[in-house]
Amino acid sequence: MNVLALYKKSRPYSSYVIFGVLLALAPLMVNLGVLRFFHLTLIAGVVIYAIVALGLNLLMGYAGLVSLGTAAFMGVGAYLTAFFTQDLGMDFLPSIVLTVVITSILGILVGLLSLRVEGFFLAMATLAVAEILRQVFIEFTGFTNSFVGRTANFPEFFGFTMNRNQTFILLVVFLVLAMFVTQSFANSYTGRALSAMRGSEAAASAMGINIFKYRLIAFSVSTAYAGLGGALYMHFIRFTFPNVWMFTLSLMLFAVVVIGGVRSVAGTVVGAFVVFGVPDLILVNIPVIGDINGMAFVFTGVLIIVVVMYYPAGLIYIWHDIKVLVHKVRGRGKV
Amino acid sequence: MSIFIQILFNSLETGSILALATMGIILIFRTSKAFNYAQGAISMFCAFIAAYFMANTGANVFISTIVGVLGAVGVGVIIDRVVIKRMIKLHSVSKQIVTLGLVIVFLGLAPMFFGNIPYTYRRFAQGTHSIFGATITYSAMVNIAIGIAIMVALFFVIQKTKWGLAVRATASNDVVARMMGIPTSIVTMGAWAVAAALGSLAAMMVAPTTTVNFVMMDSIQITALLACVLGGLGTFFGPVFAAYLIALARNLISFYISSVWADAIVYLLILGILLISPNGIFGKKLVKKV
Repeated sequence: MNVLALYKKSRPYSSYVIFGVLLALAPLMVNLGVLRFFHLTLIAGVVIYAIVALGLNLLMGYAGLVSLGTAAFMGVGAYLTAFFTQDLGMDFLPSIVLTVVITSILGILVGLLSLRVEGFFLAMATLAVAEILRQVFIEFTGFTNSFVGRTANFPEFFGFTMNRNQTFILLVVFLVLAMFVTQSFANSYTGRALSAMRGSEAAASAMGINIFKYRLIAFSVSTAYAGLGGALYMHFIRFTFPNVWMFTLSLMLFAVVVIGGVRSVAGTVVGAFVVFGVPDLILVNIPVIGDINGMAFVFTGVLIIVVVMYYPAGLIYIWHDIKVLVHKVRGRGKV
Repeated sequence: MSIFIQILFNSLETGSILALATMGIILIFRTSKAFNYAQGAISMFCAFIAAYFMANTGANVFISTIVGVLGAVGVGVIIDRVVIKRMIKLHSVSKQIVTLGLVIVFLGLAPMFFGNIPYTYRRFAQGTHSIFGATITYSAMVNIAIGIAIMVALFFVIQKTKWGLAVRATASNDVVARMMGIPTSIVTMGAWAVAAALGSLAAMMVAPTTTVNFVMMDSIQITALLACVLGGLGTFFGPVFAAYLIALARNLISFYISSVWADAIVYLLILGILLISPNGIFGKKLVKKV
């Protein structure tokens, strides 16, 4: 195994850039007529949820802590950025920085729960937090406009307003950045400390890792990703109301991580595409089946079940299995 | 005084509905080691079966309810045989994701079979009665009676019969239970069937107050999950007690403090209790081995 291959395996940054460039071609495809107008919204959704799921993967995969409040944290991010840009008239960049900072502080507060409560109990505690936040979204009408909904604009920098295609490219840039950060975070001291903690807390603390500190870090980073995702959602979709940020969305994000592959950056993006992209992008285009009421839901559900049953480690490993199969067919034995 | 009795009866009614849903979730949790996020969706689907039957045959509410419950038993058995039985060896997180997949499947199946229009569902009984100045509907009394009767019957079965022993043995350690000759696969199947039946019964009690629609069980599902952790996952009794407690707390808070924030305050209280006793009210401390 040469050094270059090993380096590429642990730091596949160049592949991320290539992926980002390819994804950024989507608006061009729309202009050329290959993709339709609404496809761009769908792909943007996949990009946004992939960013959020990357944060959740850090929390679940590396730290081994489960959160079911992700959707509500996204909602907080969305409403905060709407407040900063619409009510206070701030620019996009300072607004997004402030949003991320505030949501990560919220993450630390929620993380305090994890110091006492563990496992299934922690998952349900975060669910309770999410339901309280949703009640806040509904009732604080001055801030959230309740069920009427809150609107925002495309991002504005120094008096220049982006259009829809430029905003999409901005989303892709954020996704690639998030992939970079997640990969380096996982390889960093903190990431390895989290992995050690997941394996055995007693052993980790015996090695001098401060469990409480790293749990709080994991929660705050994960919530910051959710806040960023929510803010980007707000600036691309430009409309939100409380029922967007429901428990089901948290569960879907949870599914993204498990389906794509726990502790895999590329896997998370694949998972986001399978859960949020496949039903609407591919399924509705198939004749007859696409017209049946509720078929997209059934398909997504069955897909989730089948993937979890046959690929419990994550869909990202399907590539490895295909390679093994090809080698077997050619009679070269194992990879 | 009459107001307090009114609140007490209302709490008993919502508590009974919540307790049925909670009992379903804890039954599956103890035998399959996974939270069943699909409980609400399955109940919703079975309530649709009952309402569809009622609308198309004009049958009375009891027959429709029996049809709905039988449908639920069938759905529970099918889910267990087709999905759950094949994933005994999976990690419990993966199992929970599978139940999430089931939620989405049922959300798609319901409009496929029954269309997008909500159905109405009649009450079990009409009319009201007055006790100590509090007005109680007969249907509330029926709900309370059904809820308590089923709880008592289930606890009797679980604690006193041979099948109950099999359930408890499976819950405590399914590998050893299988070695001792307990048919754990049938126990798990029974747990899914009973859980689906309990959940759909709860759904058919909720249905007259709203309509039979796709989101009718969402809030009950979330509250039932919280009742499970509040009561502690180690017993069958704890979560059911917690369900009645949550219903009482919510009604008291919404009358005396704020009706808008009642849910949020109850959730905050649950968080507070979990912080004080991290394994729920009746939970036992898990000893971790290093």
